[in-house]
Amino acid sequence: MKSRFTTIAALGVTAVLALSACGGGGAKDSSNGTVTLKMVESLTNPTRTDTIKTLLAGFEKENPNIKVDLISPPTDSADQKIQQMLQSGKGIDVVEARDITVGSFGANKWLYDMSADLKGWDGWDNLTTNAVNYSKQDGKTYYIPYGFYGLSLFYRTDLVKEAGFSGPPASWQDLLKQSEKLNQPDENKFGYAFRGGPNANSNAVAVIEAYTADQIDKENAFKLTNGKTIFSAPEAQQAMDDYLEIFKKGSPPSSVAWGYPEMVQGFSNGSTAFLLQDPEVIATIKESKSLKADQWSVAPLLVGPTGKAIQPVASAGWGIAESSKAKPEAIKLIKYLSQGEPATTFSKDNSLVPILKSAATDPFYSTGPWAAYVTMTENPDTYISATQPRGVAWWTEWIKKSDGELQRVLTGKMTTKELLTSWDSYWTEKMAS
Amino acid sequence: MALTSEQTVVRGSKTAGAPQEPNTTLRQKKRFNSRTALTLLAFMAPAAIFVGIFTYYPMISGSQMAFRNWNLNDLSDTSWVGWGNFVKLFETPEFGTIVRNTIVWVVGSLVPQVVIGFALALFLKRHFKFRGAYQAFIFFPWAVSGFLIGMLFRWMFNAEFGVVNDLLMKAGIIHSPIPWLAEPGFAMTAIIIANIWYGVTFFAIMILAALQSVSDEMYEAAAIDGAGKVRTFFNITLPSIAVTLGLTILLRIIWIFNFPDIIWAMTGGGPADQTHIITTYMIKITQEGDYGQASALGLIVVFTLMLFAAFYLMAVRPRKEKR
Amino acid sequence: MINKETVFGRTSKIIFLGICLIVTIFPLYWIVVTSLKAPGTIYSLPLDYWPKELSFENYIGLFTKSDFGVYMLNSLLVATVAATVATLISLLSAYVLARFQFSGRGWVMAAFLLTQMIPGFIALGPLYMMMTNFNLVDSKTGLILVYIAICIPFCTIMLRGFFENVPDALEEAAMIDGCSRLSALFRVLVPVMMPGIAASFIFNFVNCWNELFLSVTLMNSDENKTIPTALAGFISSFNIDWGSMSAAAVLTVVPTLVIFAFASKFIVQGLTAGAVKG
Repeated sequence: MKSRFTTIAALGVTAVLALSACGGGGAKDSSNGTVTLKMVESLTNPTRTDTIKTLLAGFEKENPNIKVDLISPPTDSADQKIQQMLQSGKGIDVVEARDITVGSFGANKWLYDMSADLKGWDGWDNLTTNAVNYSKQDGKTYYIPYGFYGLSLFYRTDLVKEAGFSGPPASWQDLLKQSEKLNQPDENKFGYAFRGGPNANSNAVAVIEAYTADQIDKENAFKLTNGKTIFSAPEAQQAMDDYLEIFKKGSPPSSVAWGYPEMVQGFSNGSTAFLLQDPEVIATIKESKSLKADQWSVAPLLVGPTGKAIQPVASAGWGIAESSKAKPEAIKLIKYLSQGEPATTFSKDNSLVPILKSAATDPFYSTGPWAAYVTMTENPDTYISATQPRGVAWWTEWIKKSDGELQRVLTGKMTTKELLTSWDSYWTEKMAS
Repeated sequence: MALTSEQTVVRGSKTAGAPQEPNTTLRQKKRFNSRTALTLLAFMAPAAIFVGIFTYYPMISGSQMAFRNWNLNDLSDTSWVGWGNFVKLFETPEFGTIVRNTIVWVVGSLVPQVVIGFALALFLKRHFKFRGAYQAFIFFPWAVSGFLIGMLFRWMFNAEFGVVNDLLMKAGIIHSPIPWLAEPGFAMTAIIIANIWYGVTFFAIMILAALQSVSDEMYEAAAIDGAGKVRTFFNITLPSIAVTLGLTILLRIIWIFNFPDIIWAMTGGGPADQTHIITTYMIKITQEGDYGQASALGLIVVFTLMLFAAFYLMAVRPRKEKR
Repeated sequence: MINKETVFGRTSKIIFLGICLIVTIFPLYWIVVTSLKAPGTIYSLPLDYWPKELSFENYIGLFTKSDFGVYMLNSLLVATVAATVATLISLLSAYVLARFQFSGRGWVMAAFLLTQMIPGFIALGPLYMMMTNFNLVDSKTGLILVYIAICIPFCTIMLRGFFENVPDALEEAAMIDGCSRLSALFRVLVPVMMPGIAASFIFNFVNCWNELFLSVTLMNSDENKTIPTALAGFISSFNIDWGSMSAAAVLTVVPTLVIFAFASKFIVQGLTAGAVKG
């Protein structure tokens, strides 16, 4: 009997020991000169992960002594995990940095400044001006963007036509009119896929910016040329009131809680007629089984009464952890991903606004859903590019605050006026410091 | 002999202390000697080591952040701020709502769980055909993770394609779909329904187990006295299982209090922070990067529960002695 | 209770049990239905209560597009080892707490109870740092060790109740016969307490099988991920893949359901013995 216990205990110990043999793992295996890079993505989705894996295979083929392990945490908790990894300083070499995380990662000295390594890199010439600007913010190169996100209006060509409109809405007021007409809650048909859930602030700010476009400071799209915040302008009040009308008269009631996935699904499963989203969504909607190719298209971002819109450019890219012990190899990988075929494949597969100049002559980007993006780039005075202060350390705090307050407005617990006053005082205070 | 060996234990083990009064219970007759003491230490050691290293060390180390300016978005200044994080928390405008929600969440989930669980246990007590199979199915929610339950109910409560609205409309109870997770009142109802679904089983099992340990003689005696069903229930059934029930409820309250999974998966605390309970709010702050405030909130949770448990046990104890 | 059931009582019992069963089973039925619909038909109105065409595409996708098979094996391995070791360790500590009076006993119990009150998020950061230093991040051993620690407190409290129901005389007799305490424990007590031990083991197993937050935090590579991480992965930033998620959910729930079907008798029996003492 005693021996039975010993056996069980021994089995347990053996199991633990056996397992420890297969776990763990270090960065460098010096015995055969192979370097293993750990690369962590943040905006994970299965299709994108496949693309990255293909690209990495190509890189490994070109560099037989470098191996890349891709780590793909569920996107919901990815940034938190990345923070933990960067803080621990182990097991992370290449990291997906987003314009909204790079500020805090940089402040904590978690990211490596690549400026010196990329001096005289011949790849710079192939990048668009935007890509170069975003790579060299404040004189530091914390990441090289892999693409850009920007808003445009996805719409249902068939429904708009049936309702008797000649074309897609061009302005926010048009959107209100058309959504209201198309909204038939009893049949589960709605106008606009409103964003009321996570990151709801982004679309609200887009409306406000469209209404205040004439006075906006292009270096800081939250600021007017007179130095005050955009939320203080009287036009902002009008903007929010119109926006609230769109929600009340033209959107599904459940959209109070809609975040990115729900909005996209709402459009791709055919329940809403309009969706304001990133180009990234093109690929998803193309895969939709509920929508045929001739049922939808993409129109430029909506303008305000000013006749203009502010295009908030968002970006993300690849950076290197300060703690990485394989920086030269990591640089190699980032250069590889930011050039030629790999860069093009990545932006096409994920439908991102490309970082390479060569895309301008690529027919892929001038046809179908992409035509709207060409229209926008060709009319920079109507669709004005302006930089939002997305890199500040308090950006996440702002998102949570503004999302919560916007939902409060949608659920009738706060007025648009109170909302704007609160946002105005928040940014006035932050900008002063 | 007994006394000296007990003194050995005092030296041999940190946890040992004053000698027991002899012969009051069977248990205390157990004689200590140094060999026994060593055995006991060896028996306790693995548990103590595991819990110490992997639970207590990280917890204590995490608690100190509660008193520091520990924000992952900017770690350049992590100075000590005393009670600053706590003060900030209490000043949060939503704090009142969150506390209220936590109470609604705990009470709203617990009461139906106890009542339905109790009824289920009473019905299951008597053997019937297929009882084994029935139990296996009825216990199934207990095997599903909180996250999955949350996702499952989020899908079923989906406003446009959810089965709940569809059924309610087919039954003619509602005429247009309810935006369940978009309206604070409905959202709170939905998450509580999900939690009730999950928790009834637990009570049913525990109460059933307790019921089966009540001897039949007591019921027979009551029947001879001519007691009716209701009287039997209040005079015999309830007192017999009061202690188990009390402790089960306590454990359950602690768990429900500390159970953000369902809410986090279903609403993420929204809309407009109206379905946050303390622990989901803690996740939210953690994701925003303010570990200082999150830890402070964690400490508040621990102390609230400790106080509650202490009072609760004091309230339950005397009943135990009376019996 | 010993008087005969009335017709009314019987009817209400059947109705009540029937409703409970339907309500309990319905969500399971609904994920099965969702998982069997072809990916495009999930969003079609009116809702189908049984797929018009059975499609196994979601299931096939799980194994061809992701390493779901690997995740399942990982979960099985991690949960089995962690639950086994935790139950063994708890058996020892529960025995001490049940059989011996020493003045720190109350504190040990309190310390175990306290772990149930700590929101896990407080410890996540420091735990990650510690695991990094031990080189146990992205390692099944690491996850197992943490899971063991998490299971021990409640398992000990539970097992202690079972021990208190077994008379001391049993192992004393064995010890007089010359057994050591350890062999007396395993030779005499364990067989008697088997239902209770099985219940504790199942409880531990289910907890480890379902654990999400630690697994997401500690595991990186595909070869080490467990099922809950995969489930969370079906939520990407612009899509919730309900079809795949439902298929994965069905595959996650079925093993635990099977265990329950075989062990529900044990669980109630075990708890009957233990619950009374709390």
